[in-house]
Amino acid sequence: MAKGFTLWFTGLSGAGKSTLAGLVKDALLERGMKVEVLDGDVVRQNLSKGLGFSKEDRDTNIRRIGFVCHLLTRNDVVAIAAAISPYKVIRDENRALIGRFVEVYCQCDIGTLTARDPKGLYEKALRGEIANFTGVSDPYEPPANAEVIVDTAKEDPAASAQRILRTLEEMGYIPSGGERGYSDEEEETIKQRLRELGYI
Amino acid sequence: MRRLVVIGLDCLTPQWALDAWRSEMPNLQALAERGVAARLRSTIPPITIPAWTAMMTSHDPGMLGIYGFRNRSSYEYDALRVVNSNDVRARTVWNHLSRHRLKSLVMGVPQTYPPKPLNGIMVSDFTTPNKEVVFTYPPGVQGLLDQIAGGEYVIDVKDFRSEDKDALLQGVQQMTTARFRAFRALLKADDYDFAMVVEMGPDRLHHGFWRFCDPTHRLYEPGNRYRDVAHNYYLTLDEEIGRTVEAAGDGASIMVVSDHGAQAMEGAICVNEWLQQQGYLKLKEQPSAPKPLTADMIDWSQTKAWGEGGYYARLFLNVAGREPLGTIQPGTYEAVRDALVTELSAIQDEQGRCIGTRVFRPEEVYRKVNGIPPDLIVYFGDLRWRSAGSVGVGSIHQRENDTGPDDANHAPDGVFVWDQGANSGVRISEQCSIYDVAPTILRFFGIDVPEEMIGESIL
Repeated sequence: MAKGFTLWFTGLSGAGKSTLAGLVKDALLERGMKVEVLDGDVVRQNLSKGLGFSKEDRDTNIRRIGFVCHLLTRNDVVAIAAAISPYKVIRDENRALIGRFVEVYCQCDIGTLTARDPKGLYEKALRGEIANFTGVSDPYEPPANAEVIVDTAKEDPAASAQRILRTLEEMGYIPSGGERGYSDEEEETIKQRLRELGYI
Repeated sequence: MRRLVVIGLDCLTPQWALDAWRSEMPNLQALAERGVAARLRSTIPPITIPAWTAMMTSHDPGMLGIYGFRNRSSYEYDALRVVNSNDVRARTVWNHLSRHRLKSLVMGVPQTYPPKPLNGIMVSDFTTPNKEVVFTYPPGVQGLLDQIAGGEYVIDVKDFRSEDKDALLQGVQQMTTARFRAFRALLKADDYDFAMVVEMGPDRLHHGFWRFCDPTHRLYEPGNRYRDVAHNYYLTLDEEIGRTVEAAGDGASIMVVSDHGAQAMEGAICVNEWLQQQGYLKLKEQPSAPKPLTADMIDWSQTKAWGEGGYYARLFLNVAGREPLGTIQPGTYEAVRDALVTELSAIQDEQGRCIGTRVFRPEEVYRKVNGIPPDLIVYFGDLRWRSAGSVGVGSIHQRENDTGPDDANHAPDGVFVWDQGANSGVRISEQCSIYDVAPTILRFFGIDVPEEMIGESIL
């Protein structure tokens, strides 16, 4: 049975973490793996309900998500986290706790982010209506050693998802898709069989 | 969630399963009475590959870029490559079900070698080269197959062209029994939402024994000792259906499908002999005896077209700027095709009677044309005649009186029987489409039919 691992998406709001998490989740489900997604927006409605955006609250939120990812990972579920997770120390704490941990840094320039502004938050933040907004009025510490870096301003989601999957295959976390086709000898065997059967 | 079990019987033909022997196949009949029974219009061409893949993805051959077992990988003259599961770029039923966390057992569905990961178990089909390769997912399953099959799990019948018809018959029967035993053993061992098996036996039996079983076949001899082979085999298939219904458990829904049907074959049209006769193909020298045509035998500077043999014919045009030594100027491509269509349609038998050949242009019958399609798809005698690629035959017509797959050709309609969908009688009436199967399966599981599927759910 495939062993579990944690795939951790980090990056500014609107960078594409949830989008990519969804694409990778579907691809892994298709390969027969058990997968769960812990999306920051969703988690803040249940597990982390009531937490704000102070450093202390953010750290608690990320530690909670890491805790659940750890439980899932050790039970052979692929845990996909998609949260801004701005502080390096806390992300690294989760990495140390979980072990089988793959970090994906979703990079995107602030110009593209404010243009996209999918939830209308950048506009509000730039007007000063939201305090402690990561990237505008709150810090973001990019990873030093993310296993995958995607620049979502330059690469479309499908291509980024493919790169993430290939990295997971190369690292041995997920089974590859059986790309080995026919050897020349095998192809001759099949052709001969098809000839005998009348298909050719 | 209810379970769905699909029993695929390659080439199971409606004139026998739904008409002549219907009342003698009580298990199949019981499904039909609870739900629907119809003819299933297959792909163009109605061949195992791409038909099963088209069925499982609800994409036509053009969209798949898969026009047969072999496809041109480039415009070079000798670039026909055998396809495998890596060439299927569209999502199958089990891909979708896995995405929705549903578990599938998929056994013997054509074009599933090499096996790909899924939520469940996959056993690859008869395009598996041998039992030494990995042909199941997970790999550990293949070591169990012989045991749970109660003998040898047979990938495909051996010695199909043997003169020993008794041995061939026994081989088909053993293969069928082993397949169903293995399928039911795996089915009972876990909680599958979806389980599908495709058994190739009917196809092998038809091609090997049609002349003995169909009184309308020109070589049929009344009272021959194999005259009941097909009839008896269909009855044993019905018994397997019954056992599988039982193994599937209470509440399971059962579907029985085939990818195309079968009909008596008159003989073969030697497509490359015909093309030479009509002035489209020139050989460097005439062979003294029949042999397969290869690229090095052709004088390309005087050749406009060449063809491939099989149950249907594919014609390829030698186009300047496209093929390496092309002779047809792009501006005259359509005129050459039009002329070929006219001449092909007029092909006659040895007695001068038109055999009713049908010709298709890929762009007219497929929604998209991906990969490299044949330039023309030809049903000689509307598939009552097969295509032979050999040259040096000395004749356009070939009526071989030897053993082997010369007895039956494919017919465009397979079978669709399901214990659901009784209220869709108006839509089904007598025929539904091979492209409707995958959407129907997804809707059975409450999954929305993706836009890229071209068929419709019958529910």
